[in-house]
Amino acid sequence: MSKIGVFVCHCGTNIANTVDVERAVASARELPGVAFASEYKYMCSEPGQQMIKDAIEEYGLDRVVIASCSPRMHETTFRKMLKDTKVNPYMLEIANIREQCSWVHTDKAKATEKAIRLIRMSVAKAARDEPLFASSIPIEKRALVIGGGIAGIQAALDIADAGHEVALLEREPSIGGKMAMLDKTFPTLDCSACISTPKMVDAGAHPNIKLLTSCEVVKTEGYIGNFQVTIRRNARYVNHDICTGCGLCETKCPVKTDSEFNHGLSKRPAIYKLFPQAVPSKPVIDKNSCLKLTKGKCGVCEKVCPLGCIDYADEDREFTETFGAIVFATGYELIDWTALYGEYGGGRYPDMLTGLQFERLVNASGPTEGHIVRPSDGKEPKTVAIVKCVGSRDPKKGKSYCSRACCMYAAKHAHQILDKLPGTRVFIFYIDVRTPGKGYEEFYDQTRKDGAIYVRGRISKIYKDGDKLVCNGEDTLLGKQVKVMADMVVLETAMTPSSGIEELATMFGVARDVNDWIQEAHPKLRPVETQVGGVFLAGTCQGPRDIPDTVAHASAAAAKVVSLLNKSEMETSPMISVVRREHCCGCGACEKICPYTAITLEEIDDRVGAKRVKRPIASVNSGLCQGCGACTAACRTGAIDLLGFRNAQILEEVDALCL
Amino acid sequence: MSVKETNDPKIIAFCCNWCTYTGADLAGLNRSHYPENVHIVRVPCSGRVNPQFILRAFRNGCDGVMVCGCHPGDCHYSTGNYFTRRRFTLMKRLLEYNGIDPGRFHARWISGSEAGKFRDTAEEVTAMVRKLGPNTRYREYARREMSADE
Amino acid sequence: MNDNLAKMREAAKRALESGDVGYVIGWGATKFPDKTSPLFMRKPEDAERLVWNEYAIPGIAKYLLDDLYPDKPIGVFVRGCDSRAINRMMKDNRIKRENLRLLGIPCDGKDDERCTICRNRNPLVYDELLWDEAPTPEPKDRYFRANAVEAMSADGRYAYWSEVFDQCIRCYACRNICPACNCKECYVDMTATGFQGKQHSRSDNLIFGVTRAFHVGDRCIECGECERVCPMGLPIMGQTQKILKDINELVGDYESGVDAESENYLGVFDLDDKDEFM
Repeated sequence: MSKIGVFVCHCGTNIANTVDVERAVASARELPGVAFASEYKYMCSEPGQQMIKDAIEEYGLDRVVIASCSPRMHETTFRKMLKDTKVNPYMLEIANIREQCSWVHTDKAKATEKAIRLIRMSVAKAARDEPLFASSIPIEKRALVIGGGIAGIQAALDIADAGHEVALLEREPSIGGKMAMLDKTFPTLDCSACISTPKMVDAGAHPNIKLLTSCEVVKTEGYIGNFQVTIRRNARYVNHDICTGCGLCETKCPVKTDSEFNHGLSKRPAIYKLFPQAVPSKPVIDKNSCLKLTKGKCGVCEKVCPLGCIDYADEDREFTETFGAIVFATGYELIDWTALYGEYGGGRYPDMLTGLQFERLVNASGPTEGHIVRPSDGKEPKTVAIVKCVGSRDPKKGKSYCSRACCMYAAKHAHQILDKLPGTRVFIFYIDVRTPGKGYEEFYDQTRKDGAIYVRGRISKIYKDGDKLVCNGEDTLLGKQVKVMADMVVLETAMTPSSGIEELATMFGVARDVNDWIQEAHPKLRPVETQVGGVFLAGTCQGPRDIPDTVAHASAAAAKVVSLLNKSEMETSPMISVVRREHCCGCGACEKICPYTAITLEEIDDRVGAKRVKRPIASVNSGLCQGCGACTAACRTGAIDLLGFRNAQILEEVDALCL
Repeated sequence: MSVKETNDPKIIAFCCNWCTYTGADLAGLNRSHYPENVHIVRVPCSGRVNPQFILRAFRNGCDGVMVCGCHPGDCHYSTGNYFTRRRFTLMKRLLEYNGIDPGRFHARWISGSEAGKFRDTAEEVTAMVRKLGPNTRYREYARREMSADE
Repeated sequence: MNDNLAKMREAAKRALESGDVGYVIGWGATKFPDKTSPLFMRKPEDAERLVWNEYAIPGIAKYLLDDLYPDKPIGVFVRGCDSRAINRMMKDNRIKRENLRLLGIPCDGKDDERCTICRNRNPLVYDELLWDEAPTPEPKDRYFRANAVEAMSADGRYAYWSEVFDQCIRCYACRNICPACNCKECYVDMTATGFQGKQHSRSDNLIFGVTRAFHVGDRCIECGECERVCPMGLPIMGQTQKILKDINELVGDYESGVDAESENYLGVFDLDDKDEFM
């Protein structure tokens, strides 16, 4: 027979005013299994806790029921208290007689009756409590940051500076991401490369950071503290261990193919560095355009390389490493407007650029060395139309959300055109102008003063007339049709999640929102966490944002990672699902329902008669299980049960109420 | 087993820890009064509630049963309540089909901030069950006592 | 019929002679002319005892659960209903396809009420087909029992089910024959969990009825074997039909056991599922 101690709290007068505490105690004494019952003014206070500890000692209690405020209030307090006693901290039940009784009822007799019933239910459940032990899982003190843009770089640097090892993974041959492509950053107009390349170099040189460029995640297993991530390094065909990055090969390569970094505005060789300031500053061979790799002839780079770094036999290589924490910093891409906006020419006119193409065009290290000229004929434009919200705030054709950064970089583009080509007419077509940020409104004001003409309205059609791009639209403030004969059009297109995010999110079990951005654990209070323990978010993989917000977000994610990695081990809640092997038939109903992929079917050895057989049964990964119990309701047999909330315990509560 | 006290309805509410249980606590904090008939059983998630619990409650003398959880989309465990919704939509219909009055079984989505909704639900369900009187269906007691319902 | 029987005997004989299968399950004669029983043929000559007539009604797939780890594959004759039972048990991870040698026999329909709602006379999974498929006639009311009960008042429904389950002797024959009732241990036998009261009382019988239906529910293959084996002749398909009717109403065409891959209704969800709760 269990020896239960029942302790009823007055909570000053909060409970005692409405519940006859003495009666409740007297009735508790009569309950089966109750060895001791008592009351106190404030159970949670030091003397109250001491009273419980003394009673445990004196009466040899093996489980405790405390009738007090909500367990959401003091369950942890009392569990902590029990750690110093012989009673297991999980042999505790709390009858909520304050929030769910004394505070919501007025009739003292009836409230007392209800409190008695609630105590009876808790005592019945407590009688079936069993000692549970929190297990601790060791934490691998390494983080994997997926994505080497500014978010990934910032997160990696912060984690590395705190003393933990970081692997910074990037599928392109260089880190840097989108920020490396930008010319100047709003609203301060400092040069993007000047502020991002030092960070790239820092990341490349940091003793705690290992760069994994040209790498992709293929598979992942495990859970918080212990993710086993299988990574594929795509073949580079250049031995980076000996390559010095002299660049001779690049100059001799006969191939010319579109430069990804310059968004097709210039050509690059087949053996190339993504951009001059690439980190690592060593070339790779693009296997799709290399003549040697596609047609078997050429081999010039091999001949000219003074160190013999070229290795055409290089292959993709997979390796598995363990990480304690993961940071998603996968960033964004621009929406493919050509597929969506046929009325804008669908990409047929070379003088229509996306915002990122314009960034390359205006960049001193870009294809035109920063001269704003039309890609078609190299002439300076006299009239430029900038169209905002292409694909954003357009649920019919694109995305319903606002991409947040476009208003500001549209103003910046206008400013740059007016600065470099004084006298140019710049029209900005907009729905609204949104400038929430430090110095943003001032920048927008200045741009208007510089001469940018803001026209409120969408462009309905863009077509070519001679060498002009005719933009038809409406000025909704004047209620008039407008037509701009532009020499160049810049489309400020929507941000969308990077390609491959679906596969990556699915691998880690991370949720995505309706637009495929990664879903944060809580929109207000846990913005850098996912609902998967140990997986954090940095930057635009969670939603559109600009550079300052991205960097802040990344540092916040890094802080979360550091506080996780600072622990050598992590305590996990013992209230998780358990499988009774002999009853489980391996039907897998629980496996399907588990939101954490904590349940897998495992083959076990069994006997049927004299025969040794293998049969599948459900197996719970204690590192992944969060104790929701969804599996238990799916199990017809009741073979899977939830510790702390066992079927039998809940049924006991039901029965005790009905008594 | 005391059959005599059944004049006052006994209602059991299986509430998920993260939403409805918190909402009920908030009702307490707000001193929102509701009938003493509603008794909460705390479960981690509405997805934890096995239909067997409901049958057991009716069998042993509850006059009304509630299953409450987070609103769809708000589940602390992300998907638990979607399964709850499927499971208990079928269960509720099956119970009605078996002659259990729909007023006796309720599934509700009540968030942690909806203290008012919790109070209103508690009042509404209690009133409904009171009107229906003591539950005799699926109730386990000596056969002769059942004749009243036949 | 005789032609087909000859083909079946030939197929069983061939399979047993080749040694590819350990035994073949089919139908055999009983001392009652209008009843058949499952026949387990182990030797080629046993094939001569095979029967195929209008009384070859019993479902035979469930017997596969009695031999989960056979040394050699088991041969089974499969009609539409048997094939759905096999899909059901495969989906539930209870039997493995490689342990089965399925001899497909398109069914001509039997003289049984349950066969009037048959939607698949032709086997849906098989290794060889012994004769040509024929179209399944338009099934009668799929929910004939449930519709009749739904038409009653709430009190009427309670009275109806009370009368039905007052007669239940809790022999669990319905469970034993049901291909969806394929758990290793059944909840009714697990007294420790205490889900099911063991008394022979109205409430425990009713609760057994509802729970059995709910456990089978979305996985019911509508073979009607539960009713065939019920020694009390209780119309218990009325419970499972109700669940299937609701599922079909909630998410459109839903049928269990037509393949071994489709997810069970209660094993998945849709964000836009109908919400009848407030």
